[in-house]
Amino acid sequence: MNLTMKRSKKSTGGLAIAKRRFVTGVTVPLLLYESLGIFVLGWAFVLMFFDYSSGRIGGPILGLGGSNPFVGLRHFIEMIKGTSVEAGLFRTSLRNTLIFAVAILPLNLAITLPLAWLLETIGSRFKALYRTIYFLPVLTSSVGVALIWMSMYDPQAGWINAIIRFFGGTPFSWLSDPRAGFAGVSVAMWAVILAYLWQDYGYNMVIFIAALQGIPQELKDAAMIDGTNAWQAFIKITLPLIRPTMLFVCVMTMLSSFQVFDIIQVMTNGDPNNQTQVLMLDIYKNAFRYQNLGWAAAESFVLFIIVMIVTIIQMRVLRTDWEY
Amino acid sequence: MKRKIFALMLVLVFVLSACGGKTPAVPGGDEPVVLRMWVHTNNAFIAGYEPLIAAYEAEHPNVDIQLENFDYELYLQTLQTAMPAGEEADILQLFGTWTSQYYERLAPVPAEVLTIEEAQSIFYEAPIGGYIVNGVLYGMPQEFNCEYGGVLVNKTLYEATGLTYPPQWETMDDVLADAQALTQVDASGMQSIAGFHFTAADPTWASFLAGIKQRGGDYWNADHTGFTFNTPEASAQLQWALDAVDADVVDPIVFNDSTNFVIDAFFQGKVGIGYIGTWAIAEGQTNFPDFADEWAYFYLPSIQGDPVFVADSGWGLTVSPNSKNQDIAWDFVKFATTDTANATQWNIASGTIPAMPAVAESAEIAAAMPWIPKALDILPFGQYLGNMPDRDLVMYEIIYPHILNVLQGVETIDQALEAIDTEANSTFE
Repeated sequence: MNLTMKRSKKSTGGLAIAKRRFVTGVTVPLLLYESLGIFVLGWAFVLMFFDYSSGRIGGPILGLGGSNPFVGLRHFIEMIKGTSVEAGLFRTSLRNTLIFAVAILPLNLAITLPLAWLLETIGSRFKALYRTIYFLPVLTSSVGVALIWMSMYDPQAGWINAIIRFFGGTPFSWLSDPRAGFAGVSVAMWAVILAYLWQDYGYNMVIFIAALQGIPQELKDAAMIDGTNAWQAFIKITLPLIRPTMLFVCVMTMLSSFQVFDIIQVMTNGDPNNQTQVLMLDIYKNAFRYQNLGWAAAESFVLFIIVMIVTIIQMRVLRTDWEY
Repeated sequence: MKRKIFALMLVLVFVLSACGGKTPAVPGGDEPVVLRMWVHTNNAFIAGYEPLIAAYEAEHPNVDIQLENFDYELYLQTLQTAMPAGEEADILQLFGTWTSQYYERLAPVPAEVLTIEEAQSIFYEAPIGGYIVNGVLYGMPQEFNCEYGGVLVNKTLYEATGLTYPPQWETMDDVLADAQALTQVDASGMQSIAGFHFTAADPTWASFLAGIKQRGGDYWNADHTGFTFNTPEASAQLQWALDAVDADVVDPIVFNDSTNFVIDAFFQGKVGIGYIGTWAIAEGQTNFPDFADEWAYFYLPSIQGDPVFVADSGWGLTVSPNSKNQDIAWDFVKFATTDTANATQWNIASGTIPAMPAVAESAEIAAAMPWIPKALDILPFGQYLGNMPDRDLVMYEIIYPHILNVLQGVETIDQALEAIDTEANSTFE
């Protein structure tokens, strides 16, 4: 009895020590990491109520107050109805960001889902090859992608205009003509959207392929026995069954397109006439070029709220209560 | 008892010496001193700094100056994060117009090092103006950043077109006449060579503000508390630029700041006359070493009257108030910027216009940079741009985009001037 108890105590003690080590090993770094993240978020939250510039000394506590005065909600009021250049640029950037995100999501889905479905139908020998080819742009740096597309869009030496010239058409300044547009959106914005789609579509496609592979074969067989054709099977069987994946893809794509920055900064830097100026670019310029950190923090908060609302809506609309 | 008193005194000596810290080192002293110096990454500039540092260290063997450089954008971010934390280097390279944004975090130049009056007597008005905020001097300039009036001219294109070279411009009409002859359009109707590329950001604001001044106007109100951009002089200058575009000397859709930037386009043979500051020369030669066309740098005639223009100071050196060796830091800054031999060496290495007339007029500068003597006629007319709440915002997000809109045909002159006036004045709020 005593021996059993001793053994039991010993093994419990070992487990407890192991647990404590695990908890200490994981929790302490996690807390440090989180506290750092929370501090940064908290600092950004505080800054949005101040007219803060790092070039000014300000008050005694963290440089707040004094020449970095407290402005309360003035930044947000200015964003809504202000006439300053910052307010105008914010509204333009917000509009462009919404255009970008709203265009990217359906276009991305329209490309990636059918492509993933097509890839699933081809032989396994070529499947891996095509999957690799389509995924390669995702692995390429955004700056590299931007430079490649810039060279293609070059008004004089780019091959897109070369093709247009070959067929007798009029070449075009894709990234710098503010006069031209399509469907109410500037050509420069469409040009950037196309480049972004090209870089990004491989990621979602791979996720869709994984989802399609997860659909039980019996369901497809049953549908075929019931006389459905391929299109009906796709609409009635495949699409509903990959709805959780759709939700994930929609949320992630929307998030990344609301935060688009590098590809636009390199390709247009917001030109022409601010037609491609998006929120992240505006935040960056205000924070680091114009030292307007308070304003930039307020813009970041607005972006955070928008992204959160859009994500909640997507989760409500696309959520499922079942599994297979 | 005596032992106790002795021990107490010993402790007091230790405590007081610990609290007192080190005595600041002096130039030429024996105590080793390490100074950190931050500059933005520009190989030509760094090539100018390194011999200066070596020369100073040779004169002061106890001083070790460690040069650190950052890419331009990263430099801005580093300054903005390091300064509030008090972690910046002892010596900071700053652009003159930035001083009005950073002056609270900079050390004033001690009077025994250089007074404002002395500085104004040895430097040109425009470059030193950027380092004076509220009557206090915060640094010393190394260059005269002149964005106005200088142009790269492609000799090969000139001769191929049958134009007289070197250009004999008396008026801006002569420039436009040459530019029209130089302009070429390809078979599809797209401009392939711009006769006169003046539509990048810096030339656009520089010529706009100079045009206002040369026409007798001003863009500042009487007490420099606001802008006056919606004026007849500003309108006349914009109309001149629009007429030049209508005369087909440049297509601002194809040639602007983001597409076919003037340096890239010129050194690829796509521009006859390219409006840009002298700093472009070193950059163009570095980035396009295979460019075979012959070219030279000239200055444009004024729109009317004297070639009055404004300049936004130039790069120079400042000292951190957090530096423990400010006296040595200032000694080096003075050594690098006000000593004519050192300044000459730095300007030649960096390919920049000297901030001091004594250097700009020297034979060494003329031999190394043949375009500088051509600038000597206009440099004395340079006025400081003026301390703005946010110079970059006014120049690059307000003036340039609206003027480009006018030239590209998406905004009228009146609309643009009204918008520039409103938006620029809003930066004071």
